[in-house]
Amino acid sequence: MHSFFLRLSRVMAYLGGLMLAALIVLTCTSIIGRELNSVFHYMAKNDILPIVGRYFLDLGVGPVNGDFELIEAGVAFAIFAFLPLCQITGGHATVDVFTSNLSPKVNRVLRMLSELAFAFVLVLIAVQLLSGMQSKIRSGTTTYLIEFPLWWAYALSLVGATTAAVVGVYMAIIRVGEVVTGQSMIPSEVGAEH
Amino acid sequence: MMLIFLRVPIGLSMFLAGLVGLIFVTGETTIPFARLKSEVFTTFSSYSLTIVPLFLLMGHFATLGGMSQALFKAAESFLGHRKGGVAMASIGACAGFGAICGSSLATAATMSRVALPEMKKYGYAGGFSTATLAAGGTLGILIPPSVVLVIYAILTEQNIAKLFLAAFIPGILAALGYVIVISIYVRLYPESAGVRERVPYSERMRALVDVWPVLVVFIAVVGGIYGGIFTPTEGAAVGAFGTGLIALLNGGLHKDTLAESFYVTARSTAMIFFIVLGAAFYNGFLALTQVPQEIAEFVVSQGFSPWLVLIFVLIFYLILGCLMDSLSMILLTIPIFWPVMQGLDFGMVTMEMVQADRAMDVLSAGIPEGMGQDMLASIKGAIADGAQLTKDQMKSLGIRVSEGMVNRIETEQVAIWFGILVLIVVEVGLITPPVGMNLFIINAMDRSTPIVETYKAVMFFVASDLVRVVILLAFPAITLFLVGY
Repeated sequence: MHSFFLRLSRVMAYLGGLMLAALIVLTCTSIIGRELNSVFHYMAKNDILPIVGRYFLDLGVGPVNGDFELIEAGVAFAIFAFLPLCQITGGHATVDVFTSNLSPKVNRVLRMLSELAFAFVLVLIAVQLLSGMQSKIRSGTTTYLIEFPLWWAYALSLVGATTAAVVGVYMAIIRVGEVVTGQSMIPSEVGAEH
Repeated sequence: MMLIFLRVPIGLSMFLAGLVGLIFVTGETTIPFARLKSEVFTTFSSYSLTIVPLFLLMGHFATLGGMSQALFKAAESFLGHRKGGVAMASIGACAGFGAICGSSLATAATMSRVALPEMKKYGYAGGFSTATLAAGGTLGILIPPSVVLVIYAILTEQNIAKLFLAAFIPGILAALGYVIVISIYVRLYPESAGVRERVPYSERMRALVDVWPVLVVFIAVVGGIYGGIFTPTEGAAVGAFGTGLIALLNGGLHKDTLAESFYVTARSTAMIFFIVLGAAFYNGFLALTQVPQEIAEFVVSQGFSPWLVLIFVLIFYLILGCLMDSLSMILLTIPIFWPVMQGLDFGMVTMEMVQADRAMDVLSAGIPEGMGQDMLASIKGAIADGAQLTKDQMKSLGIRVSEGMVNRIETEQVAIWFGILVLIVVEVGLITPPVGMNLFIINAMDRSTPIVETYKAVMFFVASDLVRVVILLAFPAITLFLVGY
């Protein structure tokens, strides 16, 4: 059970990572295109091998059209896809100076409560994202330059948000179970990084 | 605040506080829930925040590419034979690594892996070694690029490139301060450090040459951002691409390590963005209640000296920094403190200074056409006397300096200066016993050293940090002169 959710979260994180890598390549391509574009423009204008410059300009060498929009859509997916992993490995930043002296039992109850709240929030986010997407479909909002429907980006993010909500609920159930049975049900968490 | 201390994750606490607060203020759930529809998406799809995962990935690639080893080897070959030289080399390497990595803990952890065994080998005391690395790690965040500075820039709506530039000299000062601390420490406790044999110059040069990838990436990223070739986000992408490529060529990057990089980046990114989201919600609530404005007005109306207020705020950060990680702290408190700082008058710039600066710009480009000798003389005289220029004088120079412009510059200068100060103070918290986060990370890597030993040695570095804060506080120009108006 746990290994299934863990694998699911990992796969999501890898997908998000691949998206990030794709964005990096996209950005670099766009920068190179932009710089080359101005070089070729310069060549065409100042009679330095104008044929070569014109040739490449006609080929369409230039910045990637709408790279900002693609980055924004892509990174939203990546972040949402990263959430489940952080959730399941307990990677969220906490302040544990004051609780480290309390008994394990009290700590367990506290953790259960915060995990329950987390599950609630994640489900809320996913549900509201869905309704946000529906309103974007209705209004037919598109992005500025390449005019792809904005709800596509929402739909992509929704995949991550839904997984996060599911994992959040699962973790909450685990923590409740821990309080009831009084023992740890999953391998102890990896310490949070900051 | 109470929630945070009960070990509720910080992002969640802020989110809940914001949500409950909004429901409380508006009396129903429609408005806060409606905000959730698009606000979560827009927060996560922010173009400027994209820089965060990119920098994290870049730092991880840099580790994989063996850059930490190259840096340490180079620094060691130059400094290793001195008293405490291997420790100094660690600081130097941390500074170098900080130039391509935006996170303190990552810098500390990465450098420890390389430098700790080496320090052990040359007979350095355990506590001294761990303390050195913990302190060196803070350079990661101070020397640009830095994730925390990006967040600060976004919160206060300042120019990221300018903040990076301003952080540069304080960062170098920090490294120098640590080196001085080391040389004092090894003289006080000679038994705590061994000496390494001298390395011939040919070998030193070879080690130095190995550092070139770090230099190329740093110059490309920071230079490119500052030179206006690309946006900070694009710079981060270039950096990640560059370090990734180097790691690939060195054979450090393959399927497994790539997956590992994604894993680590995913966890940290999700954590950071959840805090950012929580903060956005919490700030939305704060803004609605007008509390920050009221606090600002209250503080200003009390007529306290701006310096007193600033010192008070910094001490507050120092204490809080011992309990919380730097990012959460900045997100939690800057929305409250920044309006206060904006309301205070530090007198960074005056009308006369801006006029003189602009006038000198014009004059240094050549004396404008049609300007008479006597006009030129009168302008120069006014600048020398520190007097305001008259309308005619400004007109002949073709410059305009309005009251609003001066105020804007003043705000920007205070923002940059305050940001750097806060950044340093927050970092001091990271290495202050008994709860400094860096100390734990390093100590976990060196099981044989009791943490008390680290505590003892790190106090020297904390002292150096405090001295530096005082220096930067007393002389804002150190931070600001690179930035200009």
